[in-house]
This record gives sequence, C-alpha cells and structure tokens, in this order.
Amino acid sequence: MRLEKCWFCSSTVYPGHGIQYVRNDAKIFRFCRSKCHKNFKMKRNPRKVKWTKAYRRLHGKDMTQDSTFEFERKRNRPERYDRNVTENTLKAIKKIDKVRVDREARHIAKRLKPKKAQLQREAARELEQSISMVKAPGALLRDPSLTLPVKVKVSKPETVDNRMEE
Amino acid sequence: MAASNSSKLFRVGLSILGGLSNNALGASRPSSQLADMDFLSQQTRTFIQMRTNLKVVDNSGAKRVMCIQALKGKKGARLGDVIVASVKEAHVGGKVKKGDVHYAVVVRAAMPRGRCDGSEVKFDDNAVVLINKQGEPIGTRVFGPVPHELRKKKHLKILSLAEQIA
Repeated sequence: MRLEKCWFCSSTVYPGHGIQYVRNDAKIFRFCRSKCHKNFKMKRNPRKVKWTKAYRRLHGKDMTQDSTFEFERKRNRPERYDRNVTENTLKAIKKIDKVRVDREARHIAKRLKPKKAQLQREAARELEQSISMVKAPGALLRDPSLTLPVKVKVSKPETVDNRMEE
Repeated sequence: MAASNSSKLFRVGLSILGGLSNNALGASRPSSQLADMDFLSQQTRTFIQMRTNLKVVDNSGAKRVMCIQALKGKKGARLGDVIVASVKEAHVGGKVKKGDVHYAVVVRAAMPRGRCDGSEVKFDDNAVVLINKQGEPIGTRVFGPVPHELRKKKHLKILSLAEQIA
C-alpha cells in the first residue's frame, strides 16, 4: 500500500480513491478526485490555480523549507518487516505530523500578523472618531456607563449597537 | 459467402456501435454549452469492439489493426483482454502482412479499468500487441507503457519485453 500525491492539488490519494492516467511517454498522473482530473483535462496549470498546494508554495502562502519534509521522501526499497521498527515508525509519523502542522500554522499566523495588528488599530481609531454616529455625544456625558472603557475591545461596539437597536 | 458474412457482421457491428456510442453532444443543447462541451471534451470511453481501430506497439510489422472479435465480454474487450484482429496497415517486409487475421492482446485502453485496490487506470490511446494462438507475442519488442493487468492474464513475455510497466 502506498499513499500517493495528487498531481494537481498535492493532497494524499488513499487506496481506493482517484484515477491514474498513464500518458504514452509513460508519465503517470494521479488525481485524488474528479475535480483535479477535470482541471487537468482543461490543461490548467496547477501553479496558477489558487487552491492548489503548488500555487500556495510558489507564492509563499505555505511553508516550503522544513526539516519535517525530509521524512516524507519516497523510498523504493522495501524494508524487511521488523515489529519494533514498524511500531516506532508509526509513533514517529504521528509526532512528525503534529510538529509539521504546528509549524505550518505558525507560518500562516506570522504571515497574517501585521495585517491583524493594523486592523485592530484601525478599529480603535474608528471607535474614537465615529462613536457619535452611534450614540449622541450628550448621552455619553450624561450616563458614564454608556461610555466605552479606555482599553478597546473589538466586540464592545457590537453590544452598544445591539442596545441601541433594541 | 465470405463477402455476405462480412457484410452481415458489418451491419451487426454498426448497430452495436449505434447503441453504445457516446451521446455527449446532443443536438438540443444551446450553442454556448456546445462550445463548452467541445472544450472540455467530455468523452465516455467505451469497450474495444468490432471495427475498433487499434495501434500496434510491437515490431511485428503491423501498424494498424481492426478488431474483428472481442473474445470474452459481451460488450467488448477491455484492458488486458485478447481480441481477434485483422491487419489493416503494415510495414513493408514485416512478419505480418496486410489482411492477416491474428490474435492480439490489448495493452493500452482509453477506457478506465478498475484496479483491485479500488483506483482506476486509463491510458491515452488504444494499443495492442499481436500474439499467436498460444499467447506468445509475434514481435520481439514492445513500445510504450503496459499495465500490471497482463500479469494476471499470464502475458508474462510481454511484461518482460516492456520498457515501462504502468
């Protein structure tokens, strides 16, 4: 049994799934589902199709270089069955997967961090400046409980709006 | 007598073809959809049956061959099956001449064939290797990829001659 990679989207093809297309130059294309197969038949380049791993890796959206990828290289020599080795391999696979997923998540979070900070700052500034569109300035002075605390939380304006609408 | 027999076969063949031919482009579809269908080339590939032209991928001397009979299978032959074929085009001075009738085994078929692990394989074209009654290939070389299915059908000589096993 061997877990292959889909040629188009680079997801794993498990046994029993997908179609294998053998071209006359003996190049084998494996597809995980008909979506990938149909895109291939349309002669789309996976490096230009946004949802594929090829595009994401090319445009720096996903992690490209990592030591966890070294473990997944293709090995063509069958190993003699050794129970301990198999057991350790299975445990290692779990651990390596966890590490890899964590690292990928961190990569994506790092990529999105500057934007998130900017959004927060913009939201805070909008709150200060445009609160008068939501509540009358007089109301804020009269009833201090209606004013927002100095430390701005993004969820607060929503509750203010809800009370107004009620 | 032979002529009338062949004409009867021809008519029978035509009716089978009419029943099983792909109805991808119906006349009732609007023109824009037709253009899409052309582009996507949605073809339902079918069996190899009487009057099917096949490419010959060994060095027996034949170039193109037409299927006369698919042994085994009511609807036609698939990947790995043996057919009876008549040589339509041949190289000059080859082992077979135009008009010879031979057995042949299908080594590449455009119709997807299910593998025992649940996946499907399909090739780019329909190709055969000419064999004799005992199942041994007439030629000495085989070109292009061949499938695993030949092992189960006991065409081991062809597998050993092949340059790539799909």
